[in-house]
Amino acid sequence: MPVRDFLSTSSKLSPFQPRYEHLLLLVCVLGTVLPLGVDCNPSAENHQINGTQKKSFPVLSFDYLHVRLPFEIALWILLASLMKLGFHLIPRLSNIVPESCLLIVVGLLVGGLIKVVGEAPPVLDSKVFFLCLLPPIILDAGYFLPIRAFSENTGTILMFAVIGTLWNSFFMGGMLYAVCQIPGTGLENVGLLPSLLFGSIISAVDPVAVLAVFEEIHINELLHILVFGESLLNDAVTVVLYHLFEEYAGVGSVTFMDVLLGVICFLVVSLGGVFMGILYGLIAAFTSRFTSHTRVIEPLFVFLYSYMAYLSAEVFHLSGIMALIACGVVMRPYVEANISQKSHTTIKYFLKMWSSVSETLIFIFLGVSTVAGPHQWNWIFVGCTLLFCLVSRVLGVIGLTSIINKFRIVKLTTKDQFIIAYGGLRGAIAFSLGFLLDKHHFPMRDMFLTAIITVIFFTVFVQGMTIRPLVELLAVKKKQETKRSINEEIHTQFLDHLLTGIEDVCGHYGHHHWKDKLSRFNKKYIKKCLIAGERSKEPQLIAFYHKMEMKQAIELVESGGIPKIPSAVSTVSMQNIKPKRALPQLSKGKEEEIRNILRSNLQRTRQRLRSYNRHTLMADPYEDAWNQMLIRRQKARQLEKRMTNYLTVPANHPDSPTMMRSRLSSDPQGYSLKLNSGNVPAIVVDPATPQSPESMKLLDESSKPGEEDQGIVMRAKLPESSRTDDNVFTPGEDSPKEQRLIRCLSDPGPPPEEEKDDEYQAFLN
Amino acid sequence: METDQCTLYYKSKTVNSALSRTEWIQLKEVLSFHDWKLVTLALPKSCHLSSHQITVSSSHICRLYDRFHALDKDDKGSLNRSDFQNISELAVNPLGDRIINAFFPDGMDLIDFNSFVRILARFRPVDQNPKKEPNAPEPINSRVNKLKFAFQLYDQDKDGKISKSELLQVLRMMVGVQVTEEQLESITDRTIQEADLDGDDAISFEEFKKSLDKVDIEHKMSIRFLR
Repeated sequence: MPVRDFLSTSSKLSPFQPRYEHLLLLVCVLGTVLPLGVDCNPSAENHQINGTQKKSFPVLSFDYLHVRLPFEIALWILLASLMKLGFHLIPRLSNIVPESCLLIVVGLLVGGLIKVVGEAPPVLDSKVFFLCLLPPIILDAGYFLPIRAFSENTGTILMFAVIGTLWNSFFMGGMLYAVCQIPGTGLENVGLLPSLLFGSIISAVDPVAVLAVFEEIHINELLHILVFGESLLNDAVTVVLYHLFEEYAGVGSVTFMDVLLGVICFLVVSLGGVFMGILYGLIAAFTSRFTSHTRVIEPLFVFLYSYMAYLSAEVFHLSGIMALIACGVVMRPYVEANISQKSHTTIKYFLKMWSSVSETLIFIFLGVSTVAGPHQWNWIFVGCTLLFCLVSRVLGVIGLTSIINKFRIVKLTTKDQFIIAYGGLRGAIAFSLGFLLDKHHFPMRDMFLTAIITVIFFTVFVQGMTIRPLVELLAVKKKQETKRSINEEIHTQFLDHLLTGIEDVCGHYGHHHWKDKLSRFNKKYIKKCLIAGERSKEPQLIAFYHKMEMKQAIELVESGGIPKIPSAVSTVSMQNIKPKRALPQLSKGKEEEIRNILRSNLQRTRQRLRSYNRHTLMADPYEDAWNQMLIRRQKARQLEKRMTNYLTVPANHPDSPTMMRSRLSSDPQGYSLKLNSGNVPAIVVDPATPQSPESMKLLDESSKPGEEDQGIVMRAKLPESSRTDDNVFTPGEDSPKEQRLIRCLSDPGPPPEEEKDDEYQAFLN
Repeated sequence: METDQCTLYYKSKTVNSALSRTEWIQLKEVLSFHDWKLVTLALPKSCHLSSHQITVSSSHICRLYDRFHALDKDDKGSLNRSDFQNISELAVNPLGDRIINAFFPDGMDLIDFNSFVRILARFRPVDQNPKKEPNAPEPINSRVNKLKFAFQLYDQDKDGKISKSELLQVLRMMVGVQVTEEQLESITDRTIQEADLDGDDAISFEEFKKSLDKVDIEHKMSIRFLR
């Protein structure tokens, strides 16, 4: 602040506008005056105001306490991100060692550094962990959860999550208690309940660690969803067991009534969490229905509602993780149908960014906490913990799989079982839960923490590093990288219907039957409430097709498009058909037309992509109108010819006024007729002549909410009139193939409305 | 007399054996439709009735028999199309008609229990460890046969190819009325283009199979009920 005052006073001396030379001069002056005026006292100004002693005016002061907290947080996050950057610059390292290991090592180094300096290294505060670091990761996982795979394997996942975790906890707790009872170990003070508590803390598979490791090995979807789903759903069990044992460890005994209450508590916690999540998810979906005019804050709703779901669940001690997952899963189909393409991208990237940063921070802090935390090393305890962890996991998986395989259609093989057992990684959640233990009730807390950290280190380092070579060695099926083709989508839906029919014939209410019922219910009632406008009636197949076409169009634009037109036409069959096969189907003339049309399409898309800005200039209506009238004369004839072709096309729903305006606003012809509609006009800047296809248009994004922001909607339509720019010079034949191409690859154009016909007819007459 | 022969056959079998093909045919000749229930109930649970390549366990035969009987309201001993159409859920299924037609191959109007089971047997889950005898015919619930069944539902005119019009028909049934003709046509064109390898503008069975390479058909086209 003192610096600013100085600058302002100096500028008052020079009444003219400061120019660069003056600023440079100022900086030099400052540089020489600096040694004279440096003052470290933050309250120097106050003393000066009191005026008891006139000190020299502080030119530069140092006030770190003022910004300490945000500064340190930002510094940590920056450190984490720089570390991430660094690893990927060393390719050999990142191939061998998973990122999580490296981050823990960095944390250890940083912790060591801080300790050497003499300060106390910060420990991973449980509150910060559970409220700030964990939710982004879980939301990212829940929002992008593959629903199909998850729902097909729900039974298996629940078995592993609930029964598996219970088995692990009791086995671990029991065995550790038994070991502690052996005289001579020095551990006799560890009672049964504390051991069981410890068992419940250490037995839960950690979603953060699993995600971190499994992301890099690209394993097939089934195994990924089994281990990952288990890590997510075991949260409810962990919460209940933890609270149960913690409550009663002080008392020292657990009655049957308590166990019964525990079971009821488990049901309440898990179902309550899910219910909370579904509630918030539906509210979020409903809110997104109305965001068509405020696209900019759409992603914010997604994040806020999900976080509220998590926090609300935590208020009641319900399972926050399950609430978050349920919220994301329920919200997604409806929100994605409502929001614009840009918001979708924003949500995706923000979630990935936050979850990535969170994960990095968690691992670094784990490393730092290891250096910081009070440790009590006991060889027997730690060794036994490690041993029993592994043993119980293996036994649990084998035992459960033998039961599960009786009910599965596609059985789990031994290889699968091995990967599932090996992928049971422990992570930061266990550490945080251990950290929350009260030292008074649990005098052996330090020993517990040491053991937990050891297990975490072991699983992350040893299992994390070796899982990749093992996967290669065992030749486990990897994830399929290719996208779903339209064939697969159509045939899969076909088979769904077929199987539902067969199940009905058999009279068997199986998986397909309920899925069909749910989707019918969804279509009939829910979609109507939660999806805005016409998208609510769009069949899933069409939505899929649009997405695919959109992706292709974007790829076309990004790859520069024009020389690749033959392959664009047959781009999906590029693997099967040689590109030049497509050419014989088109005559030379038609090819040329297609080229022109595509070129102008690409340009328009490029222009649209370039022209996004929030600041628009008011157009000069008279100048525009004159240019447009000239163009319009030429195009009116073209349009008339085209109209007759399209009268047979079934009419669409009449557009809302905003959408009509938006369509016409990009059409130079229709624009001037709507001048008095009160819409904010867009400026049309033509470096070339108006008729040239190279003319750029700055479009007012806010006034065309309909066009591309309506999501991807395809309707029967006229080709956009702006495309007729080209056709002014090369009058194309309206070949059906050409029109189809236009429809396939372009943004939706203005519909063939009778209103517009009348205008033009009126104009012509 | 018939019951005696039946018990004779039954007694001569050990618990876990299967009836061979000839025995099966002889048993079939002997039994009338109504005696079926007696036989299936009398067989031990682990005994499989095997005929041709069909293997359905006896407990499931029992359930299917019950279902057959429930569908057969007039107690004719066979099912006709209207019996199928009485199933309410099939009426709302977009492929309902085609499924019903699939049960009546070669233009017949009535099917008996054998054919009923034969068609449903395709949807048995695939055996994980098949005992592969050389030259043994492929079991009816193998992946290829499942796909063949699905292919037949597409290919109504039975020329071995899914033509553009057939695909269009199926799409129209699945998608409903909101979508315009042009959109469906473009989807159809795209689909055929993607799958068509030999350039005949139609999808043959091999191409169909190839396009579903990545889909887990063994899981998708299996009903647990029929294990």
